[in-house]
Amino acid sequence: MDRMIYVSMAGAKMNMQRQEVLSHNLANVSTTGFRAELQAVRAVPVRGDGASTRVYALDTTVGYDDTAGPINFTGRALDVAMRGQSMMAVQGLDGTEAYTRAGSLVVDAQGNLVTQSGLPVLGDGGPITVPPDVTPSIAPDGTVSVRQRDGNVTQVGRLKLVTPEAKLDRGDDGLFRSPVGELPADPNAQLQDGALEGSNVNPIETMVSMITAARQFETQMKMIKTAEEDERVAAQLLRNGG
Amino acid sequence: MMRSLWISKSGMDAQQTQLDHISNNLANSATTGYKQSHAQFEDLMYQTLRQSGANSSEQTQLPTGLQTGLGVRAVATSREFTQGTLQQTGNSLDLALQGEGFFQIELPDGTTAYTRDGSFKLNADGQIVTNNGYLLQPGITVPANAKNLSVGNDGTVTVTMPGSTALQNLGQLQLASFINPAGLDPKGQNLFAETAASGTPQTGSPNSEHFGTLSQGFLESSNVNVVQELVTMIQTQRAYELNSKAIQTSDQMLQKLGQL
Repeated sequence: MDRMIYVSMAGAKMNMQRQEVLSHNLANVSTTGFRAELQAVRAVPVRGDGASTRVYALDTTVGYDDTAGPINFTGRALDVAMRGQSMMAVQGLDGTEAYTRAGSLVVDAQGNLVTQSGLPVLGDGGPITVPPDVTPSIAPDGTVSVRQRDGNVTQVGRLKLVTPEAKLDRGDDGLFRSPVGELPADPNAQLQDGALEGSNVNPIETMVSMITAARQFETQMKMIKTAEEDERVAAQLLRNGG
Repeated sequence: MMRSLWISKSGMDAQQTQLDHISNNLANSATTGYKQSHAQFEDLMYQTLRQSGANSSEQTQLPTGLQTGLGVRAVATSREFTQGTLQQTGNSLDLALQGEGFFQIELPDGTTAYTRDGSFKLNADGQIVTNNGYLLQPGITVPANAKNLSVGNDGTVTVTMPGSTALQNLGQLQLASFINPAGLDPKGQNLFAETAASGTPQTGSPNSEHFGTLSQGFLESSNVNVVQELVTMIQTQRAYELNSKAIQTSDQMLQKLGQL
C-alpha cells in the first residue's frame, strides 16, 4: 500500500480537528465574554533514512484571541463590561483565582456577589457580600455600593480588576489563569456598568475557514481514493500475471 | 488555500466596519452636538510576482509588472466637523456654537474634555454643569436668587439681582479650538479628548477670530444627513453581497478541483 495514504489521512484528520475548533467558536458566537480560540497547523516531517518526502500536518490550538467583543447595553445594574484588556477576578471551583470577561453578576441567596455560574466574584478583600434588601450598583472603577430603602448609600467593596500583560492560559472550566499565580489589581482599570460584552468570534472569518477546511477535506478524500485505486490496479496486475 | 477567498473575506470585514459606523451615525442622529463619522479604507500590500521595470533582456525592460493585491482594510475614522442646524429650545442655559470651537469641560479626575453639546444646567451650588454633572470651564457660579440669566454671543454671562436694575457680569465663557479637530479622541458622553494628533488647544472667547458665536436658547443638533446614510447603507449592503458572491465563486472553483 502506498504510504501516501497515511499522509492524506493525517491531512483529513487535521481538517476534521480544525472544523471542531471552528464549530466550537461558532457555537459560542453569542456567549458573553467569550474569547475565540486560535489555531495553527504545524508540519511534522517523518524522520528516517533518505530524503524527507513525507510531512504530516498537525492541528494545534495556540491560544485565544484577545480583541474586544461588541458591547451590548442591557441596562441591568449588575451587568458589567470591562474596558480595554482588563478582566474580572473570580474564585474558581478549585479555589484558585481565575479571570473572566463574562460580567453578568447576580446576588445569590447568601448575599454573595457571584457570576451566572455561581462562582464568587473577588474584591480587594476576598469575596464580596451584599446585605439583604438593598439595590446594588457598580461604579466604573469597580466599586460596589448599595442603596438601602431609606436612601443611604454605602460601599461594600471593590471588584478586583486585573490587566494582564502577557496572555493567560484558558483552563478546562473556561476561566483564564495566569502562569505566574495571581495578578495584582489594576487601579486604572475601567468598566462599563449596565452593559455586557459579547463574543469576539468573527463569523465571516469562521465561515471562510470552514469553507477552506471542507474543500481541503474533499481533496484529502480524493487522494485516499486515488491511493486505493492505485492499489487495486496493482493487485489486479499481480493476479493476471500469476 | 485560494487567495481570492481571503481577499473577499477582507472585503466583507471592511463593509461590516462601514455598517458599524453608519449604524452609529443613525443611532445618534438626534444627539446634541454629535459629529458623524465614516470609515476610510486602504488597499493592503501587494505581492510582486514580476517586477515592472526589470530587464527582460539586455536592451529591453518590462513595461508593466505582475502584482496581486491582498484585499482591503479600514485605516481611519474620518469625523466630519461641519455645523449642525440650530434648534430653538428657549432654555436660558442651552447654548449653541455657530462656527469653530468647543466648550471646555472639567472631568472628575481633573483632565479637560471638549464638547459641542451646549445643553447646560445649574447644579445645587449654582455652578454651570453638563448633563452628567461635569463642570464647565471657566467655572461660573450663579448666585442663588439671580434672575434673567443671559449669555451674549461673545460669551459674557450676566444676571440681574433683585433690588437693582443694573446687570451684574459674572464672567466670560472661553472656547477652545484645535488645528486638527478630526484627531480628537471621542470618549463617549458627547466628550472629546485632546490627543497628540489634534494639536494643543487654543483658547479664546467666542466671536473673536478663529471662534464662532454663541447663541443662547438654541441647541446644535447632530450633523448626520440621514438620506446620505441610507444611500451609503445600500452601497455597503451591495458591496457585502458582491464580496460574498466572490467567496461563493471561489468555493465552487475549489469544488471543481476536488472533482478531478
